[in-house]
Parts: sequence; C-alpha cells; structure tokens
Amino acid sequence: MIGLVDGNNFFVSCERVFNRRLVGRPVAVLSNNDGCCVSRSNEFKALGIPMGTPYFQLKQREASGELCFCSSNYELYGDMSRRIISILREEAVDVEQYSIDEAFIFPPTTAAADYAAYGRRVRAKILRWVGIPCGVGFAPTKTLAKIANHIGKKRPDGVFLMPDDPTEILAALPVQEVWGVGRRLPLKLRAERILTAQHLRDAPDATIRSIGGVTLLRTAMELRGIPCHEERDYDADPDSISCSRSFGEPATTAEALAESLAAYTAQAAAKLRRHGLLAAGCNIYAQVFASGGGGDFLGRTVVFPAPTDATNEMLRAIREEIDALYIEGTRYRKTGIVFFGLEKPGTAHQTDLFDDTPPAEKSRLYAAVDALNARYGKGKVFSARHSLTLGLARSNREPRLRGGYAQGLGARSWHMKRQKLSRRPTTRWDELMTVR
Amino acid sequence: MPTYGIIYAVSKTAKVSGSVVAGFPSPAEQYQEPPLDLNELLVKRPAATYFVRVEGDSMIGAGISDGDLLVVDRSLRPVDGDVIIASVDGDFTVKTYRRDKSGVRLEPANPNYPVIRLRAGQELDYFGKVTACIHRFAGKQ
Repeated sequence: MIGLVDGNNFFVSCERVFNRRLVGRPVAVLSNNDGCCVSRSNEFKALGIPMGTPYFQLKQREASGELCFCSSNYELYGDMSRRIISILREEAVDVEQYSIDEAFIFPPTTAAADYAAYGRRVRAKILRWVGIPCGVGFAPTKTLAKIANHIGKKRPDGVFLMPDDPTEILAALPVQEVWGVGRRLPLKLRAERILTAQHLRDAPDATIRSIGGVTLLRTAMELRGIPCHEERDYDADPDSISCSRSFGEPATTAEALAESLAAYTAQAAAKLRRHGLLAAGCNIYAQVFASGGGGDFLGRTVVFPAPTDATNEMLRAIREEIDALYIEGTRYRKTGIVFFGLEKPGTAHQTDLFDDTPPAEKSRLYAAVDALNARYGKGKVFSARHSLTLGLARSNREPRLRGGYAQGLGARSWHMKRQKLSRRPTTRWDELMTVR
Repeated sequence: MPTYGIIYAVSKTAKVSGSVVAGFPSPAEQYQEPPLDLNELLVKRPAATYFVRVEGDSMIGAGISDGDLLVVDRSLRPVDGDVIIASVDGDFTVKTYRRDKSGVRLEPANPNYPVIRLRAGQELDYFGKVTACIHRFAGKQ
C-alpha cells in the first residue's frame, strides 16, 4: 500500500501558522515577483477567484480589506516541508518527496490492519507538530493514491483509503484529472470515447499505447492496481521537478554527496527547460543510511537570487549548502533535490521597469549553453559556460545577449520582487516570531 | 589488531570535524566523542521545535525577560502550570497556562498585566510549550 500525503493550500497554511490573523480569512499567496495567486485559502476559493488570477486585478479588493495577500516565502515553506518529511520518515518505512508539499509514504506493516487509523494518526501529528493540515490517501499504486488523496482532502478527517474495487470512483473522475494524463491527450482520448478514469483503465492496451505510448499505458496499469511508477519516475509531470536516487553502496564522502546532488540538479534543470519553466528555489536533502530503511533526513532550503532554469546558477546557490548536509563519519543512503516556485517565464515577471533583461532571454542563452554542452561534452557545464562567455566577448556579434548575460550576474541583476513577504521565523535569527 | 570505527552522533546542525587516519588506529580514538551540542540538550524534537523572541516583561517573574529567546515545542500538550505560547486576538503571547474548574486562563508573571480568561466557548489557540529560555547578558558576546 502506498500513501500520498499533501499539505492543504500549503503556502497559505504555512503563513497561517505564524500569522493567526490570516485564519478564517480569504488569503492567497502570490507567485514569484508577486505576479498571481498560486495558493488560496478555502475562504478565498469560496469567493470564486481562480488560481492564477493576476494580483493587480485584485489590489482594490485588498485595499478595501476584503482580501489578504502574501509574497512567496520559500524559506518558510521549505523549512515547514522539511519538518513534515522528517515526521513522515519517523512514521513510515520509506518516504519519497514528490514536491514541496507532497510525499509518497510506504506505511509500516503494522499499519495494514487499519490504514485509515494510521493515516489519521500521521495527519494529527503533522497538524500538531507543524500546524499544517494535510490530506492523506492510500491505494495500491501511486496513481490511485493520488486520487484517494483528493477524496481524503475533502473529508472531515482528511483521510481516504481506496476501496478494493475503485470502479465507482474512477467512473466519476474525468480522465484528464488522472495523474500523468496531461492536458494535450484528452482530445485524442475523447476520439476513442475514453472520457473517465474507468474508461482508461478498461481500454485495450493497444488503443492506449497508440494514443499515449508506454507512459499512458503505465498510467492505465496503475489504475488497474499494478504498480508501475518506480522511484522518481515522474518525468511526464511538470507539477513536480524533483530528482533523487539511492546510492548503490552507502556514500561516506562529501564528494559523493556533492557529485550526486550536482548531477540531479543538472537533470532536474534540464527537465525544467524541457517544460519551459523557471524555479524560484529548491530543497536539497540527504538521507542517513539506517539498516531497515528510513534514516534521518538532513535538508536545506535554497532560494535562488532570481527564478532560473540555469544549472550553473543553481549549482552556485546550492554549493555552500551541500556542506551543511555532510557530517563526517556518516553513511548516506540517498540524496535528492526538489524544486519549487515553478513558473513559465514572461508571465508575471517583467514588472521591473529598470530591468531590461527579461528572464526569457536569459533562458534562451542558457538553453544555447546547454546545447553546446550537449554537443561538446557531457557534464562540462562550467567550462562550457566560460568558453561561451569568452566567445561572445571576442566576437561581439551579439551585444544584446552579452549585455543580458553580464547583467544576470552583475549588480543590476534581476531580483525577485516580494513586497508582501512575511518573516522567515524558522531560518533567520533576526526574523523570529515575537511573543509578548 | 582490531580496528575501531569512530561513530559520530548525527546532529541536524553541528558539523563534526576530525579525520580517519589510515594505518594503526590511535589508542585515543576509542575514547573519542563528539563535542557537546546545545541542540541535543535543548531540542528534543527538531521537527516540532521553534524559536521565538520575547518582547516586554509580562513574564519577568518567571525569569523571562525582554529580548530572551524561547525554545518552543509544539508536540507537547499543555498541562496546568506550563509556560506556553498561544495566540490571543491574533497576537502571540507567552503566559502560564492555568486550567481548573473555572476554565482556562493565561497568567502573566508580573502584577502589571491582567490575567487572560477565555470567554465561554472560546478555544485556546495554542502554539506550543516553552521548554527553555535563553537569556544573554549585556556586553561583549
């Protein structure tokens, strides 16, 4: 049995732990650069304001006191996420963090007698220790656990165990809402009269394969209750950009940690670019080896100077933090990275009148860097970038590009606007919560 | 000759320095221990522990001064007599938790401040239990 635990309205819930005035009010957390609503409280949703609504359209209603807004406080969300993961690690045999607010858990055999009771206990612990309400769903596969989680979230106790025969539930679920189906496929599926999750589950393999290849067939298998998603096999899903692996043998050196994390960063960054996304930051973590499964998680939250999809910029930001994960004499089981604050460039970013370097252009440059890397040497990211810089400087054929590049690194670099940023009470000594 | 591994305690924050030397192990190695770590002493459950800063002197009689740092554990349920953090009308406060037949109240440790009584039907918005107070003295640190 696999469980999926995720934080309800996670960013808003994190804000509410330290700002009780936000409880019971319509609150939304804004995307990078205070662009649009990315996390909404139930009260906010009840007003019918959709996800992604630009902030500027709502400023009036904020001024009148009707709505509350917060900038994305990734330092806080990252820390709260780490706390939840470490609690799950104590309660489960294994944990796979899937995004900043979601994790798959593998319950201990002792939970088998009553998964729902186990789920309620884990949920209550997270609520008390961290203050975040979660939804919990259990099912034999990850795809079904996702569905169970959505149902659990709407129940008063927050927990749902998928019944042995989920046909009724799958029949009521539009196929495009199944994890991994994606937004482009429904047209093709409709042509084959595959409209619900049940239709997809029961369709002939050949039909499924012809529409969406092996990926879609895997999804269908998962709906049938046959686990097909291996660890970190989430490539088709742009909602989560993450990468982690267990070491073949427990790793013991700082170099091994750094190398693995750098490799995953490069992989995950490539996936970001494939999906045309920028990330605001990431959580990096290392799990201590323990016989029998779950060892301690050591983690750090890194917020990039500006949202980026460039491997080099990420590595520069991450490098120092990797040291914090390493304790000499410790054996490590696995390392991983999870990106957060994912956004399409150019949507809500270009709000700074004094910055003439749109991130999209920077991204194009780095994409070119990657292409060069791919052609001239795998993993030579740093040297390749340097040679590109030199090349541009010498030829001077692309002054705009070069200017943009220089500015990306210089004093006038493009910074994320977070005018409504709350305190970072769990990561900064000078921003602690105060009590009277 | 048997070799002895060095086992370091795993701490969330501390980095233990030292190195494993190849060849004959030093006789001192088997006595080597990690240095004392305040986290180990003050933070029993890192996932449930938060630090907060005191403003004002409402708890001066309990040894909690303006500017002190409090270690707060959210996992512990409050019992009568505990010093706790709770939110009252949207603001966080540190007070002594009292619970008896007359209900729940939050007591300051300073006669200049009023006792906070929960209204009928009002639930305590509990944040966590204060497990330690860190007071730093004036002057050079």
